Amino acid sequence: MAIRAWVPAAEPFALLQREMNRVFDAVFGKHFGAGRARSAYVYPATNIHETEDVYLVECEVPGLEMDDLEVYVTGDLLTLSGARPETVPSDGVTLHRQERDTGRFSRAITLAGPVLGDKTEATLANGILTVRVPKAEEAKPKRIQVKAEK
Amino acid sequence: MKDPIDVAVERPREPRETPESYFVPATDVYETAEELTLVAEMPGVRPEGLTVTVEDNVLVIHGKPEGRDEPAGDLLLKEFEVGEFYRAFQLPADYDTEKIGAGIRQGVLTLRLPKSDRLKPRRIEVKVE
Repeated sequence: MAIRAWVPAAEPFALLQREMNRVFDAVFGKHFGAGRARSAYVYPATNIHETEDVYLVECEVPGLEMDDLEVYVTGDLLTLSGARPETVPSDGVTLHRQERDTGRFSRAITLAGPVLGDKTEATLANGILTVRVPKAEEAKPKRIQVKAEK
Repeated sequence: MKDPIDVAVERPREPRETPESYFVPATDVYETAEELTLVAEMPGVRPEGLTVTVEDNVLVIHGKPEGRDEPAGDLLLKEFEVGEFYRAFQLPADYDTEKIGAGIRQGVLTLRLPKSDRLKPRRIEVKVE
């Protein structure tokens, strides 16, 4: 997840913070509010939803094309890996600001039950990767009919 | 550099309004002798949702993602939130803001600002008298 300084609406200091950031920008040329959060930093930022039939995995991968991404399903393990391309030319430029990350990445997510790897679909649009991983039949909830004891 | 999709650059007639809540997009900024380049990450933003304005040497980029409704089902993991992207940059007066080029691809906005002609090094031809 590349820099998010989330500026909430109702925060009383939001306006002051923004003005301070502008001053910092002008004086130091570095926007502290937009720095990367190094401590709990995982790439790519991922959301996962689960229905009865499927796991829906969404990842934010701005700037990546299909060739930059590899998606594997092995057993119940979903693996996403790839390379974020270098965007700033290495010579002939004066660098003012570099906030985007580059380099290889690999992330593995263990899903909570058996899934169908060969029926998994992944699509990429506008820098969002969406992976639909269908659950195996035995992982789907089965309604047990309750019968009255005679 | 792959071909970006072109976006229209607007000139605002009313005062600029900052959105109430927004994300600050990660941005790389670098320059050559010819131009300044800004590359900003706005995942989920398409050309239709993007506004780029320049007024009094303040460059404002504003992106609204589309088609990012919350999926159905139980939430297992949440590492990103969906929201607008907004950022303003104070530019020095060296750039020809009329000739700004803007394109967005896979959620990444690339802006190119050529330097004003008067500031580019100009070779003076020496003629023999």
